Amino acid sequence: MTMNKLTVLPTETEILLPAGCPLTEVEYETPQRLIPFGCRSGSCGACVIQVLEGFGSLGEPDDDERDFLEDLGRTTGDHRLACQCRLRGDATIRVADDI
Amino acid sequence: MLNRVNNVGYGDRTPFLNAAASAKLRAEIDRQLDQQVLEWYANVPEAAHLEGKNVDSEYYKRNLIETAYRIRMLRVAEAKALVEIAKRSPEAAQVWANYEQEEMLHDELFLDDLEKVGVSREQFLATEPYLSTKLLTGYFSYLLDHEGPLGVVAYSYLVEYVNVKLEPRKLEALKGSVGEDNIGGQINHSHTDINDDHPGEVWAAVRHLLRNEDDIAAFKRYLREHQTLLAQYFEELYLDTIAKADKQPA
Repeated sequence: MTMNKLTVLPTETEILLPAGCPLTEVEYETPQRLIPFGCRSGSCGACVIQVLEGFGSLGEPDDDERDFLEDLGRTTGDHRLACQCRLRGDATIRVADDI
Repeated sequence: MLNRVNNVGYGDRTPFLNAAASAKLRAEIDRQLDQQVLEWYANVPEAAHLEGKNVDSEYYKRNLIETAYRIRMLRVAEAKALVEIAKRSPEAAQVWANYEQEEMLHDELFLDDLEKVGVSREQFLATEPYLSTKLLTGYFSYLLDHEGPLGVVAYSYLVEYVNVKLEPRKLEALKGSVGEDNIGGQINHSHTDINDDHPGEVWAAVRHLLRNEDDIAAFKRYLREHQTLLAQYFEELYLDTIAKADKQPA
């Protein structure tokens, strides 16, 4: 089984997840609430993350996610909704905490 | 002191299986299903009929009718399952609700294909479903009343896994035997299963419903029981169509 590494800043917590695993699994891998998931369906914006490394490892955002990120003012192209991501390679993320 | 509220998915919501263990179990389950598929082709009469070049018209039509009825009846049971799932795991309930939303009206796709081969909606409604179709629906009610929602969700995992694996081959064959213009509904149904990763969606619900080793053993058993019930349906279908026609005097 291929495992990929997700590093979550600022705690620098490293989590290994099976390839293709949704990022919502992070909640069950550690007692810390590293990512503040809300609706888990891409509609509330609670889990916005900034992808520092491995943007392509999280899959392509669809049009709805892109539109919503733009609505949220995340226009730099390096943000994602964590609940819409699947880990397909190593990545480093930071939870956006300035909303 | 805790209040008296129960059945709302409170408490420790950490899954019994972590992500790696879940992926490992799913691979094991998929191997079981691959074996079940081999047994299916070996034991069910005319199991590969719709993958052949010459498709019996009555067999084809009746299978679409029963498929549409199965969707219509099981969506009632599967909606009841949502209530039971929500009591146990809100995470699983969210996934299940989304899956049901995507599948809920797919009977219409099969009715469209029926009309293409000359079976009207009136004829569909006048057709009494097979006993095996009713018994499958009854088994869902039994499960929800007496064993819980895991068995209902297991049925969907079996069907979705097998559909994604085998349906493209069947549809390619039907393009030749029935005509591509006549199977658009079935093609669209298959697109949903594949593009929305329905096996993955259902597994995400399964994973949250598995609470111990007994649940895992039960899940494996449910997959075998559902296959047995589906085999009874295909036998009834065969006897009522192809076998009956073979017995007709020339």
